[in-house]
Amino acid sequence: MIINLDGTKPIYVQISEWLENEILNGNVESDQKIYSQYQLAEIYNINPATAAKGLNILVDEQILYKKRGLGMFVTSNAKEMILTKRKNQTLKRLVQEIVIEAARLQVSKEELIEMINAADIGEVEK
Amino acid sequence: MSVIECQGLTKAYGGVKALNNFSCNIEENKITGLIGRNGAGKTTLLKIIAGFMKETSGDLKVFSESPFNNLTVSANVVFIHDQMDLPTALNLKELLEVAASFYQNWDRELANRLFDYFSLSPLQHYEGLSKGMKSTFNMILGLAARVPLTLFDEPTSGMDAAVRQDFYRALLKDYLAHPRTIIISSHHLNEIEDLLEDILLMKDGKELLHMPIADLKEWAIGLQGKTAIVDEWTQNKELIFTKNIGPDQSYVVVRNNFSETEWQSARIAGIDLTPVSSSDLCVYLTSKTKGGIDDVFNKG
Repeated sequence: MIINLDGTKPIYVQISEWLENEILNGNVESDQKIYSQYQLAEIYNINPATAAKGLNILVDEQILYKKRGLGMFVTSNAKEMILTKRKNQTLKRLVQEIVIEAARLQVSKEELIEMINAADIGEVEK
Repeated sequence: MSVIECQGLTKAYGGVKALNNFSCNIEENKITGLIGRNGAGKTTLLKIIAGFMKETSGDLKVFSESPFNNLTVSANVVFIHDQMDLPTALNLKELLEVAASFYQNWDRELANRLFDYFSLSPLQHYEGLSKGMKSTFNMILGLAARVPLTLFDEPTSGMDAAVRQDFYRALLKDYLAHPRTIIISSHHLNEIEDLLEDILLMKDGKELLHMPIADLKEWAIGLQGKTAIVDEWTQNKELIFTKNIGPDQSYVVVRNNFSETEWQSARIAGIDLTPVSSSDLCVYLTSKTKGGIDDVFNKG
């Protein structure tokens, strides 16, 4: 994911999502050190306070933990936590949006389910 | 710790108050964006902070001292603006040498590297530079001085897009390596907002908003949909901006104090809720009328 700095999503949210993706992709493993706020600031050309805010979201959710003086590390079951969270929040919200848009377009529930069945998972995974 | 503390600051030019009972604190080692329309008082504020002129009334402390005629303040502050009064007898390289002798933490190597990167020629004189090149040279002075308080007033005026991007990156990198207090005024909020930690929005010589830039992005929200429904959702709310789109559609910006459930039901009622970009929001907040320029053309 490339951070979309012009986007409507706050940057710190995008940073925390990018970090989650790094964990999901296995680029940063459990109990490994994650990027510091200064590294993130340097990578994305953003204020380090913004980067810290993105990191702190994940600390609050216990996906990351702090080691005094050493930085932030990935929790051992971080992957599962991210997956569950995304299912419960992001996916639910997206489904809600699809349902609203379908209603606006007068697409029936059956039709909508058919469309979901027809959507090619293979395409998505690429 | 606050580097700048001002309380009830007023500066009058003739009968016009450029600063009108202005109060704020700027904390140490933050990058603050100073935003406001033309004539809001940004430059006046920076000039007074730098000790270039004296306030008419009110109280101002920079590093706990009154900045006017103060050697401590002038050694620890650099004020970069587009009317720098640099000695005309000296060429650019000599100007850098003079600056080096004045600022204790001057980074000679950084100054030289930036100087070469931006293809400035040592023997040229400041007066002979184009507007954008002058700004580029000023920027080098501002960064290499590496003083505890750096003030940039419209630093990018005249710079082309590539140089502006380079400047923002150079500023951030040097700030990461050497944290310090930086205030940067600009009309291009969309370009600098990612660099900022705080934003200070001025209107008519007063402080309108002073908050973390991240909070500003969630401070307001735009609602678009059928006018009747939008009106229903925005009654009893503080309207920041309104615009009619077509015969029965409206776009309204209000303070964002909707709860998650209200959000959902507004969506279901057919309202599009969209975040408002910081720079649009600042334009709306500092505008004299709620409809902007359109009000001039709407006679009735």
